[in-house]
Amino acid sequence: MDTFLQVVANGLMLGGLFAIVAVGLTLIFGIVKVINFAHGEFLMVGMYLTFLLSTKGGMHPYLTAAAVVPALFVMGALTQRLLIQPLMAARDEHVQIFATVGLSTALINLALLIFGADIANTPTSGVREMVTLGPVRVLTGQLWVFGAAIALVVGLQAFMKSTRTGRAIRATAQNRAAARLMGIDDRFVYVLTFGLGAACVGLGSALIAPLYPASPTIGTYFVLIAFVCTVLGGLGSIPGAFFGALVIGLVDALSGFYVGSDLREAVVFGIFLLILILKPSGLFGTRMNLSHVS
Amino acid sequence: MLEVSGVDAGYGATVILQDVSLKVDHGEVVTIVGANGAGKTTFLRTIAGLVTPRRGSVTFEGRDITKLAAHQIVDLGITLIPEGRQLFPDMTVRENLLMGAYRRHARDRQADTLDEVLALFPRLGERLEQHASSLSGGEQQMVAIARGMMARPKLLMFDEPSLGLAPIVVAQVFEVIERVAAAGTTVLIVEQNVYHTLKAADRGYVLENGRTVLNDTAEALLVNDHVRQAYLGI
Amino acid sequence: MTDTTMTQTAPAGRLSGQKLGLGALAILLVALFVTPVAMDDPFVYHIFITICIFAALSTAWNIVGGYAGQLSLGHAIFYGIGGYAGVMLTNLGITPWIGMFAGAGVAALVALVISWPCFRLHGPFFALATIAFLEVFRVLALHFRDLTGGATGLMIPLEIGWEWMVFRERLPALIIAFGMMLVCLGVAWAIRSNRLGFYLVATRERESAARAAGVRTVRVRLIAVAISAALSAMVGTFHAMYLSYIEPASMFSLQFSIQIAMFALIGGIGTVWGPLLGAVLLVPITEFARGALGAEAIGLHGFVYGVVLMLVVLFLPNGIVGLGQKLAGARRAAPGQAGAIATEAAAATAAPPAEARVPGQEVMRVEGLQKHFGGLHVTNDVGFTLREGEILGVIGPNGAGKTTVFNMISGFLPPDQGTVSVRAPDGSWQQPASPGDFAALGVGRTFQIVQPFAAMTVEENIMVGAFHRHANVSDAREAARETAHRMGLGHYLDTEAASLTIGGLKRLEVARVMAMQPRVLLLDEVMAGLNQTDVRRAVDLMLSIRDTGVSIIAIEHVMQAVMSLSDRVIVINSGQIIAQGDPQKVVRDPQVIEAYLGKEFTHA
Repeated sequence: MDTFLQVVANGLMLGGLFAIVAVGLTLIFGIVKVINFAHGEFLMVGMYLTFLLSTKGGMHPYLTAAAVVPALFVMGALTQRLLIQPLMAARDEHVQIFATVGLSTALINLALLIFGADIANTPTSGVREMVTLGPVRVLTGQLWVFGAAIALVVGLQAFMKSTRTGRAIRATAQNRAAARLMGIDDRFVYVLTFGLGAACVGLGSALIAPLYPASPTIGTYFVLIAFVCTVLGGLGSIPGAFFGALVIGLVDALSGFYVGSDLREAVVFGIFLLILILKPSGLFGTRMNLSHVS
Repeated sequence: MLEVSGVDAGYGATVILQDVSLKVDHGEVVTIVGANGAGKTTFLRTIAGLVTPRRGSVTFEGRDITKLAAHQIVDLGITLIPEGRQLFPDMTVRENLLMGAYRRHARDRQADTLDEVLALFPRLGERLEQHASSLSGGEQQMVAIARGMMARPKLLMFDEPSLGLAPIVVAQVFEVIERVAAAGTTVLIVEQNVYHTLKAADRGYVLENGRTVLNDTAEALLVNDHVRQAYLGI
Repeated sequence: MTDTTMTQTAPAGRLSGQKLGLGALAILLVALFVTPVAMDDPFVYHIFITICIFAALSTAWNIVGGYAGQLSLGHAIFYGIGGYAGVMLTNLGITPWIGMFAGAGVAALVALVISWPCFRLHGPFFALATIAFLEVFRVLALHFRDLTGGATGLMIPLEIGWEWMVFRERLPALIIAFGMMLVCLGVAWAIRSNRLGFYLVATRERESAARAAGVRTVRVRLIAVAISAALSAMVGTFHAMYLSYIEPASMFSLQFSIQIAMFALIGGIGTVWGPLLGAVLLVPITEFARGALGAEAIGLHGFVYGVVLMLVVLFLPNGIVGLGQKLAGARRAAPGQAGAIATEAAAATAAPPAEARVPGQEVMRVEGLQKHFGGLHVTNDVGFTLREGEILGVIGPNGAGKTTVFNMISGFLPPDQGTVSVRAPDGSWQQPASPGDFAALGVGRTFQIVQPFAAMTVEENIMVGAFHRHANVSDAREAARETAHRMGLGHYLDTEAASLTIGGLKRLEVARVMAMQPRVLLLDEVMAGLNQTDVRRAVDLMLSIRDTGVSIIAIEHVMQAVMSLSDRVIVINSGQIIAQGDPQKVVRDPQVIEAYLGKEFTHA
């Protein structure tokens, strides 16, 4: 029983990790309606920045967030403004896909060029200390991540609901033409949202870096999982992404333990495919329609 | 107040409006009537900045607004109540109304404007916390109009306000429009429902296949044979 | 304003441009083979063999990603299946030449199983699904290590010779790689110049119009996927032999899948030669970076690829081939159309003699149609009949539900209740359900929002309709030309469809349907947005179409047109028929006047 609880705890902690990455992704998709294939690379860049600042600058990894978050905000904003915005009117769907895929490839290889294929370990600075909570044990770092994920979700929801800018963002997502008629600058909203989504990942990377080694391809793994979480939770729904992430974290941990560690990914992606095919609107279903419109 | 001069506009390669011109003076109620596909909606969208003219100019209070973006035009005091309501479906009535007061000049007086608007639409006061998508067609149209008024516009434009509404509701909608005009707002309406709109208007333009073919006082148009012909071909 | 001079599309000029392009390609192909042979350096051989392999794979990918528009980022699945099939069977003593076909068969099967449920997903989600499938395969390949060798991979047995596709010298490998590339190019070219290619592009461009033209959109895409998978698998088998060692990470690699797609885009997605050009341009970069700069520059080529991809997407969306076409001025926009169309149309409508028009037997029966959208009752007990040679006008205020009825009588929307019956040529009454069924019975329709198949010329657009009657390309072309002349588009056969004026586009829409030789024609607001002159010409055109025996149902708002065209008129308001009959009588019906102008006007 204790083992089972430990596996569950591991799953939840993992879920918190996935949630931080997934929330930014679902924000971007829900508002800007773009699938950002380079999202994982945003995480990778953030992790390397954290690595650099903490090893060369001697800062505690968590404190690097003060620099990493704004840096990634800018990165996201620029991506939207320079890469996505010119393509938003494009008739062909494949154009946007290739744009972010190109960005992803360029970033991965840039990291390879600069850092090489070796992993980069951010100093753990005490976050790998074990903490006992009843029958289970977790790392302090994992608790920080989980807590940050919850804070992020709550904070974003509050921002969206109660601030003027948040409402403008929601309005643009619900009805872009009407939003423009209200006097909302929709292009600015998109740039802001992309930046915000990237900033969320930035926060995540500062927290994740001490727990996981950074490598050029670390983003690919996380982004695929993040996609699964967001689709499961219903694209565009922030609480959906959070709960989707918890579910996937549990599935990952449980299948790793009971089915086999090397088949975990197959189970997760298998579930992903089932959802895409059978219930594309996800558990919390939004108005997003994933199928072709004739 | 508003002057449209020799405008060509369209979407992509398609040209919808050809050489259209129009004038609206302060305090007037002007209407554009025409059959479906004539370009009435495109006309309003061009004035509102959602479509950029390829030729010609749009001037508002002496200022050239031809190339301005939609959100800038709202700032200047032109508000469009679009065809088909276009509410924010997952927001409450209150939130929808408040979105109407997004720009600074309206935001500052938001609370007062809300009171005024609710006085004009008492039924909405009862439904403030309901989701916009749960209201009936007629109620949604009221919300759309109220939302437009929240912007405290100088020129309020209506795109087919009677579309898809039951006749009794249509009468109510036009009642509201008349009250809005009586309060001093300049109004430009585009409509398929010729009778109601000509009754409410001072002047009218007839749009056919993208061109302004007729313009006169509303009374004259009401008895004009061409107007009947444009709709029924008799 | 209207230009009455006739324009020549200079067909001679275009043909010579094409010949130049083909000549250049022939030279390129020859160079690809001759250069490494002449230089006789193992490294050079390796580069050119790799170019051929990537060109082959990208071309195969393009059949699905370009022609069909389904962006697969998991194509390595098929490549990997081919590779493993080849190696596993070789280890059992079976020659890879057979293993190749085994792999192709398995890959095609897997492709069908994967794609069928995923086709209805939007672009990015389809891509995500293919990535997910790829990852699943990779993980499974790692897991079943008894079969696949797991992470340690598989080596091929060291048997030399043509039978085993393994050689000491490089030349034979080049021959095989070059040959496979030619096969892929040949297949891609064959598809593009035959009916399947037209159908794929039409499906990609505008699925609803394709279905209305009788295209089995799911089936053609499945065929494309199966072919693409089989070809990719065959290349995979050879490449595995060439590399002599395979493992899941490299056989089922996401980055590899992305590269294949990338080359096709950069070269020119959807064209036959684009992927080849992309590979020729980009593969040498990899190999040089690896060979010449070594470990120092790891990641350099990938970085360059990523940046080039972004730049191409932003500035050259049609890739290198598109750039070449622009420079050569191969396709031209259509200048001064109004006059030329007018002249053509006048000639066209003068042709058939006017016969006494007595409507014949019933060809379509609609009874008791009902439809609800959520709580809204959008269609309420709609029923009417259409007789042979009749023109039936459908009018009604905006939002009355006319297009909904149209969608129900063309197979695009199933009614909640009621029946739609069409009389087949043999006299029996059938109840078609899908757009394909309706097309098979000779019912053709146009769409309110006119959108041509943008990547094709006017002639090719019409051919999509013509293919419904003629399976052969030249027959279809002939039929399309004839229809184009009848519709007044004869001078625009070679122009980009997207550059026509609104009048031309509407004509094209009708022409495409007419090429199907329909018995019943459904026109949805064909006159909307036309000027007076175009409206008159459209009326003449419709009358001449009817005179050839076609029955027409037309939704219209342009009243003069409706009145002068229709034998009978139906008025729909709020989903119900409020009047039907002779146009002049209907228009004076008080209910109709009220619906359009408002109650008070009836007494005005």
